[in-house]
Amino acid sequence: MNTKPADQEDSSLPGERTHGGQAAPGPGRGSSARILVIDDEPEIWRAVRAGMTSVGFAAEWAATGAEGIDLVARWHPDVIILDLTLPDLDGIEVCRRLRSWSQVPIIVLSVREGDADKVTALELGADDYLTKPFSIAELVARVRVALRHAAQRSGSSDREARFQTGGLVIDFERRQVSVDGREIHVTPIEYDLLKYLAYNAGRVLTHRAILRAVWGPAYENEIHYLRVFFNQLRRKIEPVPGRPRYLLTELGIGYRLRSPD
Amino acid sequence: MAIQSDQQYKSPEAPAEGRAPDQIILRMASAPRVTRASSLRLLLLRFLFPPARIPGWKGYTAAVLGVALASGLIELIGQVIHIGNISLIYLPVVLWLATAFGRGPALLASVLAFLEYDFLFIPPLYRFTVDDPTEWVSLFALLITALVLGQLTAVVQEHAREVRESQQRTATLYALAQLIASASDQQALLDALAQRVLHVFAPAGVRACALFLPDAYKRPVLRAKAASAGLEHATLELEQREHFALAVWALTNGSPVGHSVHLDEASSASSQKEYSLIYVPLQSRREVVGVLGIIGTVEMQRLVSRVARATERTSSRGAIATNQQNAEAAFFSAFCDQIALALERAALQQQVIHAEALRESNHLKDVLLGSVSHELRTPLASIQAAASSLLEPGVQWSEAEQRELLESITGSSARLNRLVSNLLDLSRLEAGVSAPQKDWHFIGEVVATVLDRLDLAGQGQDHHIQVEIPDNMTLVPMDHEQVEQVLTNLLENALKYSPTGSAIRVQADVKLGPEGGKELEVRVADQGIGIPAAELKTIFDKFYRVQQVRLPWAKTRPPTGTGLGLAICATIIQAHGGRIWAESQQGQGATFIFTLPIPDDGPEAAILPLEEQPAHQPPLAPEVNVS
Repeated sequence: MNTKPADQEDSSLPGERTHGGQAAPGPGRGSSARILVIDDEPEIWRAVRAGMTSVGFAAEWAATGAEGIDLVARWHPDVIILDLTLPDLDGIEVCRRLRSWSQVPIIVLSVREGDADKVTALELGADDYLTKPFSIAELVARVRVALRHAAQRSGSSDREARFQTGGLVIDFERRQVSVDGREIHVTPIEYDLLKYLAYNAGRVLTHRAILRAVWGPAYENEIHYLRVFFNQLRRKIEPVPGRPRYLLTELGIGYRLRSPD
Repeated sequence: MAIQSDQQYKSPEAPAEGRAPDQIILRMASAPRVTRASSLRLLLLRFLFPPARIPGWKGYTAAVLGVALASGLIELIGQVIHIGNISLIYLPVVLWLATAFGRGPALLASVLAFLEYDFLFIPPLYRFTVDDPTEWVSLFALLITALVLGQLTAVVQEHAREVRESQQRTATLYALAQLIASASDQQALLDALAQRVLHVFAPAGVRACALFLPDAYKRPVLRAKAASAGLEHATLELEQREHFALAVWALTNGSPVGHSVHLDEASSASSQKEYSLIYVPLQSRREVVGVLGIIGTVEMQRLVSRVARATERTSSRGAIATNQQNAEAAFFSAFCDQIALALERAALQQQVIHAEALRESNHLKDVLLGSVSHELRTPLASIQAAASSLLEPGVQWSEAEQRELLESITGSSARLNRLVSNLLDLSRLEAGVSAPQKDWHFIGEVVATVLDRLDLAGQGQDHHIQVEIPDNMTLVPMDHEQVEQVLTNLLENALKYSPTGSAIRVQADVKLGPEGGKELEVRVADQGIGIPAAELKTIFDKFYRVQQVRLPWAKTRPPTGTGLGLAICATIIQAHGGRIWAESQQGQGATFIFTLPIPDDGPEAAILPLEEQPAHQPPLAPEVNVS
């Protein structure tokens, strides 16, 4: 039996339809974005609500997995913040159920020890994760990234012809990469990799997702290759390869390209 | 069924009657053999002085033959020359018989010599009457001399043998005591004891043995066994369920209990040999500490005094045999006592170790609580103070003041978080469940992650952290979360114990280890106060903190901590098979160094093809294809 498609590679029609049918799907439509928090800790909810409302998002709270799934269906949130440890359902299970009919971006919250859970959630289609304890500013930044990707996915905003973060510029039309105005020679596969990362900038991408997207499904377990490859790429584009500013490592999970400015 | 050792045990004199219904037939590869002396001289010596325990009839035959031979010799000499005291020729024969075969044959030879000399050589010939009364004197002189000589010699021989055997037994017991003293752990001790029982008592007939120790419910549990070659399966017999009741009985009642088993000879399937099976309780002063199960020839039973006494009643052997049996039984009993003492001591040692561990863990708990309650309360108190100040009604805090209070809250929570993760790590390490989940990583990525996290927590801005890692580093197998923890702890220590504005250097390189293998060496060096030489090793102990730290540049109190960080580092690095140590010259900073082994078969060799591999498909995230 086939497992659920991972990382939105297989954007099935129901998901698109659900998303497309939403009343207020994002900031681009003039109304404030809706953020659903599924977490049984009232203190976390209070902190997150304060953070979200302070930047103009609307927030709603579900203390259990079942209630959360119910609210997703009724309230149509734009981003879901999902704690992996819930009193009723496993967070992973909530993620799995949501992904069977919805493509709403999910940001997973978890404790430090739990690489396996994080990877599972990401492979199941969660968009990002944050480790507790986290700062609200970081959470807001991740929510913005998720909203931007959702907007791109629904086609409401055109893709830029070039991507820029700090001194790193990727020109998609001319297939050129430059750092601080200096053109960098990259191999075709390095360019493909950068392009994939840039389209998903700010999001964490699992090792397997990157390998699958850039090299193909047959290579999705060659994680050591990827590590060596990133090491080489960093030496080309990072000012200080030992302290990367662009190609960020999420140890045990995958990689993340810095968000565009 | 009521088991009584005396009833249960069937003496060898009546083996056929009333065989136990549950007798077991075992296949035997070959019966144990006595090694034969090869040289002729040895054969001759053995013939002249056979071992003391030779079957009696041989001695008596030798007596008859020897006396007849002496009579023949007298006859021969008498034909050549007449010698008055020619009957003395019998005396060496008696002497030899007494030496070689003991009292009985010597006695028989004395009487035979007396009769034969009278019958053959004293007139009237071929009659037991004597013509000349003076001949009576010489005849009785011969008899008395022969009798006394024979008995005296036999006694001396017996004494000599007893002394020899007693010496041997003392030596054996001494060797046993040495073995017990040198055993490294309980299992090794038990194995060695079983082997030793088999070795020492093999001449007495023991062929296999097993040691049973009582479990918590006072049931015997097999802990060690040994068997002579070809009889390995005999130990199974000792574990048989039907015999197990006997072992339980021996353990609870403290007296030996026996049984007989029939084992098949492998050479001829039809012939069975009867073996004895005995469970002997091992009794210390206070209680039965175990049971020794032995299987051996039927003669073996005489080792066990109570069974031996039952045999004595039906035995036809004389007092000599009984004495010998008693000595052997006493020796066996002394041997068992030694084993019992050893077992008792081992058990006591275990109790002591257990008690020690308990005490240690209680102490740990006390120290942990003492140390942690302070460490937990301090940040909590500052968070509460700052937050309640901000909530104070009617107070208008300036923006700078608000910021300061909020920073205090953030900093304290970061500190609490670190403390909690250290405590969690410690409890996991204590439980021994945190085996590293190794994967191949670049140390540079781990260092960068740790530094990013320190930046996020607002640490490290006051110091210059320099990272020196070569670009061409190899992948190293490690549990990244654990190594992150090690680096975090080392860096936080460096930050804590060195002045603001000073440099902290993080270096990593591949070196050759002491055993010649490649290893990753990571160094974290600060320019702080350093560590006294005497404390360079102890700092890795749990709860150890460098004594009386006074930071010359700090106006506040000395840095706080639980004394757990370095202990956790050491445990993690050891679990990785690496080494960790500290170097310091006081006043010139401290350097912490750890190594991680690098196996030769790293995954990098096979990596080049990936670069050449053409892209399988356009590298677009599927979701962007929608546009």
